[in-house]
This record gives sequence, C-alpha cells and structure tokens, in this order.
Amino acid sequence: MNCPTCGAALAPGARFCENCGAQLGDAPAAPVLPAAAVVDHPLGDAPISAPTRKPAAALPDPPAAGRRPCAECGGEVGPDLYCVECGTKAPSERDHFEEQPAAWVGGVCDKAVGKRRNEDAMALLAGAEPGSRAVLIVMDGVSNSIDSDVASLAGARAAREVLRMPLPAGMGTPESRDAAVRKVFTDAAAAANTAIVAVTDPDSPNPASATFTAAVLEGRRITWANIGDSRSYWLPDDGTPVQLSVDDSLAQAQIATGVAREVAESGPQAHAITKWLGRDSEDPTPTVGALEVDRSGWLLACSDGLWNYASEPEELAERVREAATDDPLALARALVAFANAAGGHDNITAALARVELGHNDQTPTPGGEPSDG
Amino acid sequence: MAEFSAAVYQNEFLPDGGTDVNAIVTITCTGAGTAGQSGAGSAGEIIIVDTSGSMGPGTMAAAKEAAQAALAEIVDGTFFAVIAGADRAMLAYPQVSSGPGMVRMDARTRHEASTAIDRFVGSGGTAISTWLDLAGQLFASVPEVSQRHVLLLTDGENRERPGRLDEAINRATGYFQADCRGAGTDWQVAEIRRIAQALLGTVDIIPRPAEMKAQFQEIMRNAMARGVADASLRVWTPQGAEVLFVRQVSPTVEDLTHRRTPVNPLTGDYPTGAWSDESRDYHIAVRVPAKAIGQEQLAARVQLALGNDVVTQGLVKATWSNNSELTARIDQQVAHYTGQAELAQAIQEGLAAKAAGDEATATTKLGRAVQLAAATGNDEATSKLRKVVEVDNEETGTVRLKRSVDKADEMALDTASTKTTRIRKEPTT
Repeated sequence: MNCPTCGAALAPGARFCENCGAQLGDAPAAPVLPAAAVVDHPLGDAPISAPTRKPAAALPDPPAAGRRPCAECGGEVGPDLYCVECGTKAPSERDHFEEQPAAWVGGVCDKAVGKRRNEDAMALLAGAEPGSRAVLIVMDGVSNSIDSDVASLAGARAAREVLRMPLPAGMGTPESRDAAVRKVFTDAAAAANTAIVAVTDPDSPNPASATFTAAVLEGRRITWANIGDSRSYWLPDDGTPVQLSVDDSLAQAQIATGVAREVAESGPQAHAITKWLGRDSEDPTPTVGALEVDRSGWLLACSDGLWNYASEPEELAERVREAATDDPLALARALVAFANAAGGHDNITAALARVELGHNDQTPTPGGEPSDG
Repeated sequence: MAEFSAAVYQNEFLPDGGTDVNAIVTITCTGAGTAGQSGAGSAGEIIIVDTSGSMGPGTMAAAKEAAQAALAEIVDGTFFAVIAGADRAMLAYPQVSSGPGMVRMDARTRHEASTAIDRFVGSGGTAISTWLDLAGQLFASVPEVSQRHVLLLTDGENRERPGRLDEAINRATGYFQADCRGAGTDWQVAEIRRIAQALLGTVDIIPRPAEMKAQFQEIMRNAMARGVADASLRVWTPQGAEVLFVRQVSPTVEDLTHRRTPVNPLTGDYPTGAWSDESRDYHIAVRVPAKAIGQEQLAARVQLALGNDVVTQGLVKATWSNNSELTARIDQQVAHYTGQAELAQAIQEGLAAKAAGDEATATTKLGRAVQLAAATGNDEATSKLRKVVEVDNEETGTVRLKRSVDKADEMALDTASTKTTRIRKEPTT
C-alpha cells in the first residue's frame, strides 16, 4: 500500500504517512478516477495539493525585515514564505535552523530533502571557554504522531533548562555521584516529557512522541543519556571512534541477539523504537553513561537522519575527516549535506562540541557562564 | 463589509523536466451588500432600449414594459438614465441638454422616467456605437458615480461602417460594464457578444417578447446586488515564468489573457468588474523553468485586488516529483474546465462554419461539442445542441445537422455556449 498523498510506501496498519505526515485510514485522499467518473464523484472539489502549513509557533518566522533573503536568487521572501522574485520556497525557521552557543559548539537541524516537515529538534548550551562545558540535546519527533515537530522542539528546550547547571561532581562515592547524575538526566527527560504532553492535544488519537538524546561535556568527561534511537558518538581525531548511546529499538534488540548491524538496521522494522517520550510513553527513564576522553576529537549528538547513512562510528569519523574543519557549525553543515546527498529520507540533526586537548594534555577548567544557542 | 476567500485546485506535482502548471482558483465573495452603498462612490445605471424602426409593435410594447420593470428594481438613491437608441442615441431621461446627465432614483424620477419610456416609438436605423458613446458621456457627467452599469437591448444588426462599433467598445472598456440582450432573431450574436465580453457583462437571446420583463428584472436585480464596485484578478508569476493563459471559467468562459494591465514586471491585473455574493472560478496556466526533483516553488500568487488592496490570495505551487502516480494525475477541476472551455469553442466554431455553409466542419465541431457536453455533464449545452443536431452517438460525437432549425434555438445555443457547469453536484434535496 502506498500513501495516497505522496506515494511513499506505507507500513501495514499505519495511520499516518511516515514520509509526508498525511492522515490515512478514515479520511483517504481522493482516489485516482477515470475521467468519465469525475463528474459524479462527490470529492470533486477536494484539492490534491495540501494547503500551505503554518510554521510551528515555537519558532515563528521572523517579520519581513528580519527574514533571510531567498537562498536561490537573493530576493525578498514574502509573508507566504515564497520568494517574491523567483517563487522559490524559503525554508521556514522550523525546517532548517542552526545554533552556535560558543565558537567550539554548534549544530544544524534540517528538514532533509526527502521530507515534508522537520520533526527533529535540537537545543544547545556552551560555556564561552573552549572545552569548558557543553550540552547537546537532540530529539527526533516520531513522524506518524500528530504535531511531533512542535513537541520535539518544546521537549528539547525544556530539557536544556534542566541541564543548565553543571552536573553533580566530587561528592560522596562514585556510586552516589552516578546516582545523582542519573537523577539529573531523568529530570531532564521528565521535563522534556512534560513539555511534549503540554503541547499535545488532549483529544489527540495519536499523541506526539519523540526520542531523546543528551550529551554533556564537562572538561574531559562526557556524560550521555538516551531514550529511543537518536545517538551520541565520540569521534577522536585519532584512535577508535565509539558510539556512546545504545538505541532503544527493535534493530538494537536484534543486534543484541547476534544479527549483523547492517542487516538489522535495514530491516522493515529498523526504525521501530521501543522507548520514547510523549503522553503514551511507558518508560521515560533514560539510559545514562559516561566516558573520560584523553585526546582531541568531536562529541556528536545526532538523529537517525544522519546515522542512517553512516551508522558505524568509523564511517562517521571518516565523514568528519573529509570535512576537514575545526568549526563545529561548518562540520554540522557538512554532515547534513552528506546525508541530504545520500538521499535525505529523514530529518537530519547534527550537534557537535570540539574537544581540544593541548600537547601538554592540560585539562581545561569546567565552569564558566553557559550561554544559549 | 464584503469578504473574499480563495481556494486553489491543482495537481502541484510535475514530472522531471515538467514546466506547465494548471490551477483552478475559486474566488468567493460574501457580504457584498448593495451597489453604491459601500461608501466608495455611487452606483450608476443606464438602460438603453433599441428604438429603431425594426422594433415591431409587440416587441416595442414588451421592451417598454421591461424597461419600466427594470426601473422598479433600481434602488432609490442610485444615479440613472434612459437612452433610446436608433441611428443616433437620444437621452430619453433625464431630459437635460447640459450638466449632469443622470439623476438619483426616487419615486418622482422613477415615474418621470416611466412616462418618458411610454413615449418611445420605433424609427430609424441601428448605430450601437453612438449608444455606447452617449452612455459613457452620461457616466462622465456625474463624477461621483464610480460603479457604472448598462443594460442594453437591441433587436437588429448594427448598421455602421466596419470598425466604428469596435472603437466605441474600446472607449467603453474598463469604464462601464454592460449586460446585453437581443430580442428576436435578427441581431448578430457574435457582434453583441463582443460588446458584452469586453464590457464584462452577459449576453443572451430573448426570443419571445413575453420573456423580456422577467429578464430585465433579473439583470437589474443582479446589478443592484453588486456591492463591490470593481475588482481585479492580480496574478504574480516568478521571474522567468510565462503566463500561458488566464481565463474565467465559471459562471462563463471568458478569456482574460490579453486584458492584462501590468502592475510590476512580475505582476498583472485582469479585470473582473463588480461583485455580488458569488463565486467565480479562474483557470490559470503558467509555464515555469523546470527544477530538480524534490524542489518546490511558487508558480503563481493569484489575488483579488480592490484598487491596491489585496483582499484574498491563493497560492499555485509546483513540486517536481519522480513519482509518476502523482505527476500523471490531472486535477478534476482543471480537467473539467479544460473540457468546458473547449466546448464553448467547439459550439461557436461549429455554428460559424454552419452559417458559412461549411457543413463538414460544422458537423465535426458540433459533434465534438455534443461529446464534451456529455462528458462534462453540461446538460444545458446538451439540450440546446440537440435542437440543432441529430445525435447518433453521444460518446463518439457522431451527429448530423438538422435540416430545419429554429433560428432562435441556434442563437440560444450560441449565446449559451460560454456558460459552464460546476463540477460539484447540486444538493439533491
């Protein structure tokens, strides 16, 4: 079965199209009719083209004066979000946004060429001093749920507020410290969950849901938390790159039983997640882990729109080497461009923090006033 | 206060390399109110009655009664005048020779105008250009009249040197609107349609004098309901694009393509005249440079503008896709109105060929018209066509020309050729 709106293949029993978000089932779009039958068809005045969607309220499009010029011809973008000169559709602020809270931390959240709207979200935080403290939060709204684009952004921003303070450190035993850190991430996930539920229509038959990945860098220590299948990676300039987070997905469950990663991640259920945030979440508690790093490299938090095309840490590290840049925003753009070039079948988010350890291997001092993206 | 809304019907998906975008834009007006009462100037009505010698006593009596009935429909306070048309135009009411040539309607002026109409006698020829020119002068004599409408009745062919009528039509175009009616069968449909189309009005035949009064009342009632004096269809297309055509397709087919007034290099205005509470459909075809698969762009902004105020907007889009299931679909509204426009053309060309004695072409064209009328569900066209041709097979368009055809039926088919049906089903209550 295919989506009557955009033609994409549909999972059996799907209520929304994974590709374009069209509602399926009870309200099918007008079927293709032979010309002769047209006159008698009661849906004769149903438009084929969907109305232009209003941008999500969380990222309102700026007034004409502040709007970026048309990417195609440099012309003015009209209030209907099309260029007034060449008619090119301007990406709405929600469809493509970038954050760079400090020179060494940046990210790009992009709709991707193959998708109709951007349900990924990102929220970043960084101390001004390189290597001091960075928070990368990536959430991927589940596209067959209603309004997941609004929900994911609200969730990511709520979690960022919880992670604004440094993580608990230097108190009691390592166990008590780990428990305190886990509590903070659980609170962050809970705040994201509350924000998602708050923007969900109480009557929604298919409430918004999203994944949750947070990676915090404090000096040499990376702490990560995860729900669903967005990921964090540590990609050192030399040495072995690693995937930090572990997916809550059917693919991951298959991998755990011995199925090869490339087989599991390309199966029909590859993107079915087993944990998520949202009103119908069964377990909003993240998995939490930590890693001490001993060399320079990149901390990456990303959505599956990126890792779909480079799942193995080595592949991602190779893409990073190819980009050959020290600027996190330039690197994030390069990774997004790579995923778009590879097909861009899902929203793409790449958030990066640069870890620069000097030759004398001095530990940067954590702290400093964090600032928003 | 009138409110406008716009709805766009199209298949925005184009195949790789595709360039032509077709859309039907439905513009709906509600709360139009009454002509001349929106505060933006007054309404003016001029009734022109043919008083040439060809008007027989029966027709003349009916025309007088109909004109008087039309006076009754004109809302008090509206400026009006009555013209008697023959080889020259005579101002029958108000009887002035200088100054403002129109007066406000009230009980007294209505009665005086009625009396003036009673005195009409038929004599002389038919020089319609002089009628239009006098109407223009009368409107110009009352500057506060900003919504100008004429009801014109004739019964005969225009007897002027070629070109004179067209010059008068050009002078009137964009200045006033005119609904035209032909009494009997001695007038030329093509000639009167030229006037009505240029002046954004309707054309129809009144075959029997008895029907005249009801027609006049309806025309004037409709005119009085047009509370929005003048509106333009404003079409923006992107740089590098080409407007293939802009056509009103409902309630009638009117090609507006060549009536564009540039607003700026990318935008043009097309006249739509005055609006009552109604819906009109426009078919816009735009050719845009092809873009890559997955790209979306705007092919046209279709707006309704009252002066410089844009009151509603519809967006016509283009999205390139490699999904042939999407790109192969033709929007039902676009398909329907494409057929209706071809139907109008087939009828007019078929009748013209028949009049010129080219029976082969007439048979082919009218056969095609029968086929299209059936396929697009235009029952009025079907029944009118069946009075002119014998239909052997509706589906294949196989017809024979009828040997004896009532002239009035042929003219009724001609005048109704531009009327279209909507795709929506009427409620079956």
